[in-house]
Amino acid sequence: MIHRIILAVGLVTASIAASQTSATAGDPYGMAQVWSYNFSMNRPWHGNYYNQMYGQPLALIVPPTAHMRQTYSWGVSQNLMYPIHHQFGRSANSPGAARGRFYGTPKWPSHTDQFGTYYVRGPW
Amino acid sequence: MKIRTLSYAWVALTLCVTLAATASADQPANQVEENVPAVVAADSYVGDVAPGIQRGYGQPDLFYNFYTQGAANRANAQMYLSPMPIPPNVGHTFYTYQPFYPHHMLYPHQNRFHRHYDCGRGMNRTRASYYYPPVRQTASNVYWNFLRIPR
Repeated sequence: MIHRIILAVGLVTASIAASQTSATAGDPYGMAQVWSYNFSMNRPWHGNYYNQMYGQPLALIVPPTAHMRQTYSWGVSQNLMYPIHHQFGRSANSPGAARGRFYGTPKWPSHTDQFGTYYVRGPW
Repeated sequence: MKIRTLSYAWVALTLCVTLAATASADQPANQVEENVPAVVAADSYVGDVAPGIQRGYGQPDLFYNFYTQGAANRANAQMYLSPMPIPPNVGHTFYTYQPFYPHHMLYPHQNRFHRHYDCGRGMNRTRASYYYPPVRQTASNVYWNFLRIPR
């Protein structure tokens, strides 16, 4: 009898351990999600440059689990990491998908933001 | 003897049925009208809470699009087809099966999709799991964790 009990406990433990596919990040209440949403509400998703192919900033979709981006420029102090706040949502707000006024990529680009491609996280 | 008893019983039963039919035909009309709501109640559906109160069913739009959010944008981006709305003479491309949306392929997760049909009397539920291919992921882990020269 005790062998059966031990076997049953072992099976239950193994099944529980197997059901947990991966360890989750330490954000049980979604605080980072709320912060990202609040930050994305009052700052643009794009920089000051348009993409050369489209004439406006290009949103590069990254996984919604991505949270940082890297910029490169001349000099060590210009290589910076920024959080990716913006995420695609359902409905469009103003100004819609109209063209804004942006700079073109310089003839000699000196920063990765000057290419007009900016990360936006995909929807959940 | 038994057949005679059965025939008596049959005659008595016929008499009773005939009397009952004539009695119900003699009933006044207002009593017939009172029976009408009972007939309607018998036609109601199981899910109905009360007559006059309709149950709401979700009708999610299949062809929604995703846009960038925020109040400080000078231009918004459309996710399908990125980054701008295409002109009307181009035509559109739709994903008609929601589990095959490409943005679900970006990260491992599980999702459920619900679709109500037949005025809410039916619901189709689809459960989708998105995960890394196990064999390829295992091979990749072996390469990156054991075989690769760290440099």
